Amino acid sequence: MSLRRRRAVKLALRYVAAVALTVFFLFPIYWLFMISFKTADEIYAYPPVWWPSSLQLDNYLVLFRDGDAKTVWNSLVVAGTSTVIAMFIGTICAYSLARFRTGGEHLANWIISQRMIPPIAVVFPIFLLYVWFGLVDTYIGLILLYTAFNLPYVIWMMRGYILDIPQALEEAALVDGYTRWQVLWKVVFPMCRAGLFATAIFTFVFAWNDFIFALVLTRTEVTTYTVQVTHYFGGQSNFWAKIAAMSVLGTLPIFIVVGFMQRYLVRGISLGAVKG
Amino acid sequence: MAAEGAIRSPRAGDRNFRFTLIAPSIFVLLLIGIFPLIYLLLVSFQGITMIDNDTSFHGLANYRRLFDDARLWESLLHTLIFTAIALPLELLLGLLMAQLFIDHLPGRQVFVALLVLPVLVAPIVSGATWSLMFDNRFGPINQIFGWITGEEMTLLWTISPELVYPAILTAEVWQWTPFMFLLLLAALSAVDKSQLEAASIDGAGYWRTFFRIVLPAIWPVMAVAILIRGLDLFRLFDVVWALTKGGPGTMTETVSIFTYVRGFQQFEISYTSAVALLIIVLLSVAILTALRRVELSR
Amino acid sequence: MADLKITGLHKYYGAVHAVRGIDLEIPAGEFTVLVGQSGCGKSTLLRTIAGLEDADEGTIEIGNEVVNDLAPRERDIAMVFQNYALYPYMTVYDNIAFGLRARKTPKQDIAGKIARAAEMLGIGHLLQRYPRQLSGGQLQRVAIGRAIVRNARLYLFDEPLSNLDAQLRDEMRGEIKRLHQELGKTMIYVTHDQIEAMTMADRIVLLRDGRIEQAGAPLELFEQPVTRYVAGFLGSPSMNFLDATLVAADGGLGVRLADGTVLPLPPARHAALAGYRDRPVTFGVRPDHIGRASPGDTRPGLARYSAVIELLQPTGSRTYGTFRVGSAEVVAELKAHDVSQVNERVELVIDMNRAIVIDPDSEKVL
Repeated sequence: MSLRRRRAVKLALRYVAAVALTVFFLFPIYWLFMISFKTADEIYAYPPVWWPSSLQLDNYLVLFRDGDAKTVWNSLVVAGTSTVIAMFIGTICAYSLARFRTGGEHLANWIISQRMIPPIAVVFPIFLLYVWFGLVDTYIGLILLYTAFNLPYVIWMMRGYILDIPQALEEAALVDGYTRWQVLWKVVFPMCRAGLFATAIFTFVFAWNDFIFALVLTRTEVTTYTVQVTHYFGGQSNFWAKIAAMSVLGTLPIFIVVGFMQRYLVRGISLGAVKG
Repeated sequence: MAAEGAIRSPRAGDRNFRFTLIAPSIFVLLLIGIFPLIYLLLVSFQGITMIDNDTSFHGLANYRRLFDDARLWESLLHTLIFTAIALPLELLLGLLMAQLFIDHLPGRQVFVALLVLPVLVAPIVSGATWSLMFDNRFGPINQIFGWITGEEMTLLWTISPELVYPAILTAEVWQWTPFMFLLLLAALSAVDKSQLEAASIDGAGYWRTFFRIVLPAIWPVMAVAILIRGLDLFRLFDVVWALTKGGPGTMTETVSIFTYVRGFQQFEISYTSAVALLIIVLLSVAILTALRRVELSR
Repeated sequence: MADLKITGLHKYYGAVHAVRGIDLEIPAGEFTVLVGQSGCGKSTLLRTIAGLEDADEGTIEIGNEVVNDLAPRERDIAMVFQNYALYPYMTVYDNIAFGLRARKTPKQDIAGKIARAAEMLGIGHLLQRYPRQLSGGQLQRVAIGRAIVRNARLYLFDEPLSNLDAQLRDEMRGEIKRLHQELGKTMIYVTHDQIEAMTMADRIVLLRDGRIEQAGAPLELFEQPVTRYVAGFLGSPSMNFLDATLVAADGGLGVRLADGTVLPLPPARHAALAGYRDRPVTFGVRPDHIGRASPGDTRPGLARYSAVIELLQPTGSRTYGTFRVGSAEVVAELKAHDVSQVNERVELVIDMNRAIVIDPDSEKVL
């Protein structure tokens, strides 16, 4: 075989492998989405139906009619608010760590290690405290917890982005007549705009996708969509249509948002270890 | 020469400024990080349960109980089994996938964008999805196995003792292999091409090149990926919760599920506090050792 | 009146003593160049003047006011940075206006000032562009523009030309000097490049290991260096240094080189050197003070030396010829056609009036 031919065959084989992998990794997502469009007859058909006869939206309408869709709104409020707070106080903290080496390596390491403690170990005492302070099943309670949980991530990531900013830009502004706070607003934030945006997205996703904190700290009022999904698991019969539709409602926004963020994905999920 | 990096000696005004900046974050972290820890420590020396609000000093009774609690150590063992199988599997599959996509392939970006999607799904949703996939009658997995074997399959993936581990591991590996893939693909792309070319001119074979040049180059990223995933696996909860809730019996109970059951279903408050402290101590030691070895902030 | 006065300045970075006691007065309107090798403390000194670093000891006065405790923005200074420090997300116009806006300058004034500065620097057509669309030279002009619109008391330049290629550097050197003449402002300029220092400065402050080695007009440092370091730092190619012994010769004094040749020193130098007779010294002579001997040249103070040229490096108008004295290599700056091939023995003359004798222990020029 000629070299050229061999290359063509190799490329074709790689193509086949790539497509097979993509099918494997996308199929469960496909299945979830399809169930959400199926009628009850199609869901409980044997053998399973691989392609619904029509893309009917009844399963979603039921969620909105019963008010279950409000849990998506709860997720949005809690994840959104905690992201805004964590981004602000985390970024200014990161600036202090990066520029003034406040606390040195020890403080930075302590902060990132906070992120790695298993939620279950933290959530237990917090639950007891929240019961005491009446914060269980409130927006404030969840927002405070997600803010704290995401802070280490925000600080760690933004510290990396801020260290990438040439220091002379800030010094030029200081010499030109700006105060430290003004330099933050007019130089540092604009310079790491992309980093701020990317970090905020991932911070949001972590809060949005969380299950265990919400499971422990909500009852009925501020249930998030992840907890709502598990409410449809019955002992013997699962409400498949609702599970699927609620899951899609919670998953689709993330797919869309992160779809625009591909460039920052690697740095975001690797805690900044890969600059991508 | 001019100091690169940090402004090293801030004047008095700057000193206030730097501490003003970290104050809100440190306050929140202490509130949610340290305060509960102290509370745990306190409660773990008492005897509070659901029915008995016994706040008297019980000494080390709860800690002594830790050592005799077979279910706790079994849950730790289950967690380690999940980690020991899933982590190498994800790493290896991720590396193979990264190798597949490292060379030019038309439409590569589309493939990568699609392959990333499982990482973005909430773990609990991923668990729910796989419980639909694994359903013994209406799920596609049994149907596919049926096509292969030619006979009707009704395997109880989330109930049969011999199938629960494969089921959970499948869901886990499905969700997180793309994570490894993404990081390793980025690491492989950053390998110095001229080193590879020099090696091929020197006549080094594929494996030799891989172990001598590629692996050392991607190791820092690989180490971080292993660290992140290792810690995630240690706190494994959502997927197991959705698929088996730790069952059958306590066969797939992880440390996180054990703690949840003890604390929030049986309300053994003081004992759970001791368990939580044990987990924090174990993890802290592991994290600090790992952080010292892995240069996360290169 | 001094525009800047520094007294007993010290600066530490942890265990590193970066600035070790600097006293310096800079008169209003002067162009001062701080020069030295990397690590000599020149940038630290400049940044301390700017207030970007704290002084650990000593005082800094700008216009008779002690500014140690003032933030950079309160010191009435403008600064040009090595890597331009332009904001990538702002247009050139906004970059230049940035400092004026900080000081709440009225809009019309800003427009007028920028127009004047842009005209001076020839960047009027670039004002609406972004930094990434500009070349290195253009970026540098914008960075300078941002400083000069400020009408500050003191202008600081931190190696502003080090990122430019050689040709642009020559051009910008002239331009900055012209700006200084037009504006008449006090400027302090940091560089490691001795040619920049020589060509631009009213006064050079040569720093070494955190101390001032010598300060003065460029030609003063060049012609009357006080130490071996200063003599070696300025001039290109740099001064030749030879181990020698001070001996009696022809009723006066001379230096005996390693190969035994004795070069007589002119009588004017005898008094200062008398005490060093029969002691080892370092003999220093610049390449341009060694030339090919011509028969009729009987100026006083010329010493003859016969050498074999081992290496020739023509540069066009001049040719550098290298020969050996003992084991040391010596460079002579010859005329283009003085020597036609290597290993040729030629008669050279050394201008002993311009040569220096250095105490090898203290490294001071005698």
